[in-house]
Amino acid sequence: MSNEKAVVPAPDITGDASKYEETHVHAIYDEIASHFSATRYKPWPIVKQFMSSLTPGSIGVDLGCGNGKYMNNPSSIRTIGMDRSRNLLEVAKLARQDGCDVILGDVMEMPWRAHAFDYAISIATIHHLATHSRRVKSVELLLKSLKPHGGRALIYVWAIEQDGASKRVIPTTDVPQYQASGIDVLVPWVHNVKPEASTESSPPVYKRYYHMFAKGELRSLVVEAAHALQLHVGESGESNRSQRGLQIIQDGWERSNYYIEATTWEKE
Amino acid sequence: MVRLITHNLLACHVRGCTTNNFPLAFKDVEIQLREAEFNQDFLRGFLPKLEWRALVDTAKSLNDQSLPDTPPAPEQMDTEFLKALHHVLLEIHVEEGAMVCANCGHVYPISNGIPNMLLQEHEL
Repeated sequence: MSNEKAVVPAPDITGDASKYEETHVHAIYDEIASHFSATRYKPWPIVKQFMSSLTPGSIGVDLGCGNGKYMNNPSSIRTIGMDRSRNLLEVAKLARQDGCDVILGDVMEMPWRAHAFDYAISIATIHHLATHSRRVKSVELLLKSLKPHGGRALIYVWAIEQDGASKRVIPTTDVPQYQASGIDVLVPWVHNVKPEASTESSPPVYKRYYHMFAKGELRSLVVEAAHALQLHVGESGESNRSQRGLQIIQDGWERSNYYIEATTWEKE
Repeated sequence: MVRLITHNLLACHVRGCTTNNFPLAFKDVEIQLREAEFNQDFLRGFLPKLEWRALVDTAKSLNDQSLPDTPPAPEQMDTEFLKALHHVLLEIHVEEGAMVCANCGHVYPISNGIPNMLLQEHEL
């Protein structure tokens, strides 16, 4: 029996990945924006911690800000939100009582001055990019957005390894070749906007594309992006001769997601 | 919404457009003034990262002359200055209009307070 809520493997992506994302990600978020937004209000603990540790006067960017749930911060810091969904941005711009700055943009583009930001967060965004090289490129752009010294990054992506409490039904993942490179899936969104409505007409189901990350994959993605920008990965110090680098502060798994936090450094 | 805090960060990113691509020039704008929460710590911390010339010139283009041509030294930032900076950065909302690149002429439209920074495939 087919289960409309089941996560299914995504068919192989042929042709233009950006067009694929347009159909299987962007268009869907615009369609489901208000319903989706109503389900996304609880901040994840590590993101919350990161945001509350930022220095007053910090300016940051939230890449894939969705409904702006990480933009309602104390007025000592400011976050610019970017998303591909105009309808989600209409929600996000009201996330703070005195307003939020949002822009319609794509994480494959960088519409600001290089190194303009003190911090950048990418929460549940790059798992919607349909190829490895696009995910690497987006992390490169994120790192390029940060100031060369002390710029802080936090990235979250969906993990193959799911929380026991997760309601998702995940296709079998114990095939060894999937373990290193993640798996591509379609995740249904049952657009049940009127729960009290008659069950005769069933609600539409939208299938969003996700790349579910394997253990270690996010870290190696960040390392690859850092190397592409000639950043040394590791601590600053006399043990290396690099002038600029990226230090990974922490990485791990939280509630069905992998996360990584890193900081840029530059020697005097 | 587009406030000058955002405008001071945005740059044209059309492929090959790498010089004179900042700041973007506002065009045909509709403006609303709305109060924002005043926070000195934010302003003092953020000021060194601003492109000051661009901020002053852009504020002037929107008929706000309140900022000095060079920013005062940190110890000389009085409340009057910080209030003016606060107003320029956070209380002037460009709701409609466009931002235009002085170098390549690309137009980034602003609608309902949201700037569209997406490029067409051939511009990437």
